[in-house]
Amino acid sequence: MKISRNWLQKFFTEPLPSTEAIAEAFTFHAFEIEEVDGDLLDVKVLPNRAADCFSHRGLAKEISAILDIPLKNDPLRSAVKSMDIVSPYLKVEIEDPKKCLRYMGALVRGVKIGPSPAWLRDALEAVGQRSINNIVDATNYVMLNIGQPLHAFDAKKLAQKNGACAIGIRNAKEGEKITALSGEEYVLPTSILLITDAHADVPIGVAGIRGGKAAEITNDTTDIVVESANFDGTTIRRGAQALKLMTEASLRFQNRPSPELCAYGIRDVLALIQEIAGGEIASVVDAYPIHAKKNREVSVSLAKINGVLGSNFSKKEVSNVFERLGFKTKIDNDTFTIAPPFERTDLVISEDLVEEVGRIIGYDRIPASDIGCPTSKIGHPMSNIPDQARYRGIEKVKDFLIEHGFTEISTQSFAEKGDVMLANPLDKTKPALRTNLHGNMKEAMERARYYAPLVLSPSEKPKLFEVGTIFPKEGERLAVETSEPVPNLPLIADDAGYEPKRYELGVFKPFSAYPFITRDIAFWAGDARQDEVHIEKIIRDCAGGFLMHLDQFDRFEKRGKVSLAYRLVFQSMERTLTDAEVNDRMQNISAALRAAGCEVR
Amino acid sequence: MSQGRLHPLTITIREMVSIFGRMGFSVAHGPELETEWYNFDALAIPADHPARDMWDTFWVKTKEGEERNVLRTHTSPVQIRWLEKYGAPTCIIVPGKVFRNEATDATHEAQFYQLEGLAVGPDVTLAHLKGTLELFCKAYFGPDAKIRLRPSFFPFTEPSVEVDVWFPARQTWLEVMGAGMVHPQVLRNAKVDPNAHQGFAFGLGVERFAMIKYAIPDIRLFHSGDVRFNYAFDEKRV
Repeated sequence: MKISRNWLQKFFTEPLPSTEAIAEAFTFHAFEIEEVDGDLLDVKVLPNRAADCFSHRGLAKEISAILDIPLKNDPLRSAVKSMDIVSPYLKVEIEDPKKCLRYMGALVRGVKIGPSPAWLRDALEAVGQRSINNIVDATNYVMLNIGQPLHAFDAKKLAQKNGACAIGIRNAKEGEKITALSGEEYVLPTSILLITDAHADVPIGVAGIRGGKAAEITNDTTDIVVESANFDGTTIRRGAQALKLMTEASLRFQNRPSPELCAYGIRDVLALIQEIAGGEIASVVDAYPIHAKKNREVSVSLAKINGVLGSNFSKKEVSNVFERLGFKTKIDNDTFTIAPPFERTDLVISEDLVEEVGRIIGYDRIPASDIGCPTSKIGHPMSNIPDQARYRGIEKVKDFLIEHGFTEISTQSFAEKGDVMLANPLDKTKPALRTNLHGNMKEAMERARYYAPLVLSPSEKPKLFEVGTIFPKEGERLAVETSEPVPNLPLIADDAGYEPKRYELGVFKPFSAYPFITRDIAFWAGDARQDEVHIEKIIRDCAGGFLMHLDQFDRFEKRGKVSLAYRLVFQSMERTLTDAEVNDRMQNISAALRAAGCEVR
Repeated sequence: MSQGRLHPLTITIREMVSIFGRMGFSVAHGPELETEWYNFDALAIPADHPARDMWDTFWVKTKEGEERNVLRTHTSPVQIRWLEKYGAPTCIIVPGKVFRNEATDATHEAQFYQLEGLAVGPDVTLAHLKGTLELFCKAYFGPDAKIRLRPSFFPFTEPSVEVDVWFPARQTWLEVMGAGMVHPQVLRNAKVDPNAHQGFAFGLGVERFAMIKYAIPDIRLFHSGDVRFNYAFDEKRV
């Protein structure tokens, strides 16, 4: 959620600290910050707080609690007056109250469509929104301010019956279509919930996702119907997935904000519309078939809080946290009972309150304690030592293979064919789970043979193994694959006593993506006094930076003379080397060796 | 004949297991092909809940009426399987392959390894989690490493935290794992009484730890089957 410091400031009398300080407060007490850019903060609201914190008000409340700065005005704490202006001009028909939990609609006549005032344009643009016109901007502003998605329709584009228009909320019919505000046409699955012009039975919006073209606000609009509704989270989530249309509205509805919020939304948007576009409220209807249950009280004791966190917080510190969060709190001895405000639908069990205390005070205040994992206490109940028998048994087989010259590889679990098929493969050419490790081994061996000169000495040939899970018909199991038969290869068996061999690695040395060139050189080291360290130095010096690998692969003595043979592998990190430049290097090496008295063959 | 080379992932997991082993953790295993129940529902991640979007999931084709299977998106299902079988108190780690259906790049792979940790007992606290992870990170990254916790959300832990490690070699904080106190509903789903036991859990990306420690630039090197990767390090027997 993109927010601006300026917008947040509207909730406070005291000046807020810098954007950086606000970012830090969020990071260590509430949410990660994706980006800070001047006045703008992009807050990564966590899924459990999406119902109340996809709004400036929700995030201002968090900052208020974290930094202990009081809110000047909290729009959700000032009471909403009953706005049920019963009138014959607007009707609402809800087909299924489980899918549309509440629908508040207002008919406003005589509005003047125009550009938004500068403060409103600036506020929206500061958080990356586009200003459209005063009515649309008003609905967006209130949504970003308190979190209630809102929509406005052109009332004159709705069919009238006896001077009244009617809004319907129903599922799409087979084959029904809608043209969205963007101009794109959607063929609707029947699971999609629609807003309709009920008299004409024509869709005017996809409920909780996007408005339709049919009743779009234009410059000629004078009468509007404003919607502040609450739709079932699952219905909206599935709908948005089916249409591949994630919007600001669907994001909020899928997280199930409280239907109570509708009343605050309509109150604020009507006030703003009257301020910037005029008009007269002709009718407000509130279809609220089943009232949302009040959030239940949640209790937690001081002992529980400190017992879960391993902290030593005082009663005073804890009650201060709840006070800063604005929770109505009853304290009975050491037990706190709070009544979560309507928008905090995430507070259900005592652990939720433990988290509130931990994060607001700060996890830096939690000590780092030694678990002392006394194995007799929390180790494997069947044994006095930690049970790693299966793991150790597997590692023992790997160590056996390493000792026998095999190198371990790891490959992908997906395959072209298999007994278990994926419903949604990433790579369409490999839609199955592997039933064996042969195919990947064959491929890896081909590459290993090609790359062998880079990593092995000329006298060695690559040998590989993989220990990996396979998924044959009989069920998944661990398999061991080797590139050639291994005499006496033990089967995997539990071995609690085996100590897997441990290695330390140095820093990763990048390898080149370009081809390499191999050259052999053999010569009589004319002077027996010449040691081989010196000879190798001559070769390395003349070969230059492209020499990746140097291996002596032959050595014999005859009549007091020593014959040596080396394999050189040349490769560049940046480009493909040419034969000609490698030949040049080889000639330089030959010349240098001759100069040192060697007889190059 | 010279020795072959272990895969760097094996070397990394052995080091991790050895550190946790000294602290008394057992090693548990579980299937890579998981049921929807163990991978999601038992971990308090209901169907059609936005929290499921945290995991891009590979689903397996099933016939009408069969239980839906997935490639496990995390090693957390083993928490449930282990507790069901052995109960509490207990103290385990679970190294294993997991799968995510997302586009691959230098820091994302469709398959990678996680190491899950779980400690459940009558009085295991968040402070124990902090102590355990600090000890682990000092042993793995060096004595100057330290950790800090930030608020987070996972359906199966409450409270939930994100763990950052101070990596001295680069003088920077790095986000390395998610953790928290096991949600009481998860304990109940695993037939453990949340009034008698509580515990912590964490899950770290094994490749990510190796990438930080050895300055490996691309996660795709790990499961490419390319032997050059094994030989891209100087190797010393400990």
